[in-house]
Amino acid sequence: MKKYFTDIFSGIWNLLKGMKITGKVLVSPAVTECYPEKRDELQPKERFRAELTMPHNENNEHKCTACGICAMNCPNQTITVKKSKITDENGKPKIVLDQYLYDIGSCIFCGLCTRVCPQGAIEFTNNFEHAVYTRSKLIKQLNKPGSKKVEVAKPAAPAAKPAQAGQNEVAAPKQENENKQ
Amino acid sequence: MEDIKKLLAKVAPGKEVAEGTQYPTIELEPNEVRAVAKKLKEAGFDYLINLTGVDYTDALGTVYHISSSTNKTAVVVLKTKTADRENPVLYTVCDIWKSADLYEREVFDFYGIRFIDHPDMRRIFLRGDWKGFPFRKDYNEVNEMPTTNVNIDDLETLPSITFDKEGKIVEKTKQLFDNNEYVVNFGPQHPATHGVLHLRVSLDGEIVKKVDPNFGYIHRGIEKMCESLTYPQILPYTERLDYLSGSINRHAFCMCVEKAAGIEVPQRAQYIRCIFDELTRIASHLLGWGCMAMDMGAITAFIYGMRDREKIMDIFEENAGGRLMPAYSIIGGLTKDVVPNFQQTISEFVAYMRESIKEYHTLFTGNPIATGRMHNVGWLTKETAVALGTTGPTGRASGWSNDVRKIAPYAAYDKVKFKEVLRNTDTCKGDSFDRYIIRLDEVLESLNIIEQLNENLPDDGVNVKVPAIVKLPEGEYYQRAESARGDFGVYIKSDGNKNPYRVKFRSPCMTLISALDPLCKGEKIADLITIGASLDYVIPCADR
Amino acid sequence: MSLELIDGINKIHEFLTSNIEAAWVVSLIEYVLVGLGFLTLYALIALFLIIFERKICAYFQCRLGPNRVGPWGIFQVFADMVKILIKEIIPLKHNDKLLFYAAPFIVIMGSLLTFGGLQFAEGVHGVDFNVGVFYLLAVSSISIIGVMLAGWSSNNKYSLIGAMRSGAQVISFELSACLSMMAIVILGGSMNLSDLMAAQEDVWFIFQSPFTVVALVIYLIAAHAETNRGPFDLPEAESELTAGYHVEYSGITFGFFYVGEYCNLFINAAIGTLVFLGGWQAFHLPFAGCEGFNAVMDAIPSYVWMFGKTLLLIFLSLWVRWTFPRLRIDQLLRLEWKIMLPFSLANILLMAIWVALVK
Repeated sequence: MKKYFTDIFSGIWNLLKGMKITGKVLVSPAVTECYPEKRDELQPKERFRAELTMPHNENNEHKCTACGICAMNCPNQTITVKKSKITDENGKPKIVLDQYLYDIGSCIFCGLCTRVCPQGAIEFTNNFEHAVYTRSKLIKQLNKPGSKKVEVAKPAAPAAKPAQAGQNEVAAPKQENENKQ
Repeated sequence: MEDIKKLLAKVAPGKEVAEGTQYPTIELEPNEVRAVAKKLKEAGFDYLINLTGVDYTDALGTVYHISSSTNKTAVVVLKTKTADRENPVLYTVCDIWKSADLYEREVFDFYGIRFIDHPDMRRIFLRGDWKGFPFRKDYNEVNEMPTTNVNIDDLETLPSITFDKEGKIVEKTKQLFDNNEYVVNFGPQHPATHGVLHLRVSLDGEIVKKVDPNFGYIHRGIEKMCESLTYPQILPYTERLDYLSGSINRHAFCMCVEKAAGIEVPQRAQYIRCIFDELTRIASHLLGWGCMAMDMGAITAFIYGMRDREKIMDIFEENAGGRLMPAYSIIGGLTKDVVPNFQQTISEFVAYMRESIKEYHTLFTGNPIATGRMHNVGWLTKETAVALGTTGPTGRASGWSNDVRKIAPYAAYDKVKFKEVLRNTDTCKGDSFDRYIIRLDEVLESLNIIEQLNENLPDDGVNVKVPAIVKLPEGEYYQRAESARGDFGVYIKSDGNKNPYRVKFRSPCMTLISALDPLCKGEKIADLITIGASLDYVIPCADR
Repeated sequence: MSLELIDGINKIHEFLTSNIEAAWVVSLIEYVLVGLGFLTLYALIALFLIIFERKICAYFQCRLGPNRVGPWGIFQVFADMVKILIKEIIPLKHNDKLLFYAAPFIVIMGSLLTFGGLQFAEGVHGVDFNVGVFYLLAVSSISIIGVMLAGWSSNNKYSLIGAMRSGAQVISFELSACLSMMAIVILGGSMNLSDLMAAQEDVWFIFQSPFTVVALVIYLIAAHAETNRGPFDLPEAESELTAGYHVEYSGITFGFFYVGEYCNLFINAAIGTLVFLGGWQAFHLPFAGCEGFNAVMDAIPSYVWMFGKTLLLIFLSLWVRWTFPRLRIDQLLRLEWKIMLPFSLANILLMAIWVALVK
């Protein structure tokens, strides 16, 4: 009998303690924010991977050599590198990038492409606002129209390679990729 | 190791224990498996970690990883295979280790191996009308996108094969439910199944009589995809198995590859990986706590759990660049070093979280409605837990000490002091409340681990150079890790190429779901939801 | 100039009688006006409570709540209303059509009938029965028939389980709700709401006896349970039965259940206010020397008192709803039959003794 009453009153007491917690939250400010209104305050962290981009310098030049390693390493076939063979003014055959297509709809933001790129030509940026009205708009061309590869002095090229990317991989997969096409 | 070899010599006389493998391995003829398995079980090997189907091109076979609930560090591997590819049959072990039930269904689904005397040889992930067995190396069937509903007979008729008196194989079928049973479909679209799980529940008023889980709604064939991907490419997929312990899965896969390729990872990377694992565990447990509260009707508690989980997501975003899928570990270390104020952020978070846990206890643990709904519901004895292979917090709530971080310490876990959170070591039974409270206790323990790691963070770089194309030497590799839901395992069979020959992920969730039926029998509908929430399964992990 | 509603109503009455000679035409017009007034009030209260709950619930959950339509999102509910009105009503194949479409109307009818018996301000009420309390109790339980019909006629296993739970729950908690009100009837000596109001002019019932406090607590719990909300939402139990008895309803047929739920919330709070907290009566201090204070309190219009107190009780109900987990069916029945019923029976007895001794 005594337990019956103590159970009831301790139960009510515990319920009230729970209500105190929610009551405290009721009067404290909300943790969520109005999204488009407070857009300026909303800064994703610097490393946040949201969109793949190809940085261009002021002369509309990029670093991509159209080797296709990124496309090959992508687990989802998100990246398509379209390239063509031309002959430069010295008469040497040369591969240039036509279109660098990136389908953000199938990207899983694993970051493998940027890690393997021997030139450091692509990088992830913070722009997370991807909403579009048609699916075709999700396929983006990363190289700007009329852009071309930045000309670097010969010895500088290997120095641009990031530490993780091995030296030997550059040549081998390139050939494979060419064979595919 | 020597003890186990002696034991193996006793249980399987005349069989050679393979040399140079990670665990003591013996190969058996199909008809010897059951006898050896029974003897192993009698010798204390009562926990079937994993059962993997393998296509050896000339034969189809299975690999059994077996451990013990008493001699916890011991693992033995049994292998068997049959050369008959037309109509392969093997002997079931599901009466010896109950967890083999679902594993053998999976092997049947993927390889077409039927198990003699297994009571339920339905396909598990694929539809009943799926043509062919996709994990066979010679699989080239074309399956159209299905336009019709699943045939109800495929769901409700249980085929099985057995020997008749003359020793010939006969096929039998059994109906899952009686005609006059009140069967309710929970899911695949249901608020409380934590994903697209389909439960067929037979009810007697409010009382649950039988639960039959139907998997495969989010089966993506990740293991099959892995066979055509390179090792670095597999990494993002591991995070998508159990998306709530993504970092841990990725860590486990990285460790497996690193061990196989002989890559030594710097200490700093290992410490940070462990911190991230524990943060992931806390995030997962917070979500599990919140979901349990929400399943019981306290939506506000769920939002509080999410509010605090957001802090972890911010730490992930700041350091790794991803939120739910941090993608931080890579083969050979980490993508980048942590940001400079990492240690301070972590210590602030640890302090904040400790306060939050107290608040959770006041809000929900102390609530008489909540405790009344969790106490004395869904008893899981230690024996059943071991037999079903329900590892992780669920097993520990029943008093089964199965923490892989203690059993087979990996990364930096042997350098920190922490205790394995156990409940009910004397009664060896766990109810929903035990499974609930153990998660909050584990969060506190994880905070301790994080604090220790954070204070002693070494400074020797975060990655080593690995070859651009990772190739593993020929062989089989297995790596266990303690994910937020239990014993996560990675099995890689390599033939020396840049793609693995076979990858199998030991999913802790599949065994958890298989525990639903024994736990819910005789309980109420509301308890089915509570028990499901207390098991805290994640469906993509089970379906893979 | 008085702010009381009754003066306005009297003016309309005078205007009508002075212009129209036939008394029955006047009555007819007045009946129509009263009916329209109630329907409008009914809809407005539901709309207000929906946005009120959504905002309050958001603040409990450290969120912002609806904030798109109108300032602070207050017109969100009108947008929702328009949306639900133009939504398609999905026809079902294998259900009992007549009962299926009748059920939402029965639910609405039940709560509308209760509206007629309430008093909203001094002299503003639909009907004034001599058995007002009894009437309120009787008609407020009509809704359950609609709920049961909805669950049965949907031909859905979830909704059937939900309806059965609802039946068990409402019938049980009806008992406690009635018994706790009977304690007040003993204290007030009448079932007529006007008499009860008059008895509370100086001191509200809640302050007249310690046993009214117990009765109020029991009434609030029981009434909360009758609305199928909060920790007592087993019939809907979205995590178990997805939506319980109204799982098959769509468009405005679902809207009726939704509106009915919020109006029942208001009705229960209003009955609690009328019977326990003095209804539209102002707060008075029954001591000598407090006349000034009482005069200030009287200056506040009676409907402000009424709706203010009702809102307070509604807020309490929301607080409970957004804090606690749902009960299981056995806990629910245990709470009623083993705890609340003995308490309310004992309470009636003690109240009778109190009345016999003190008065």
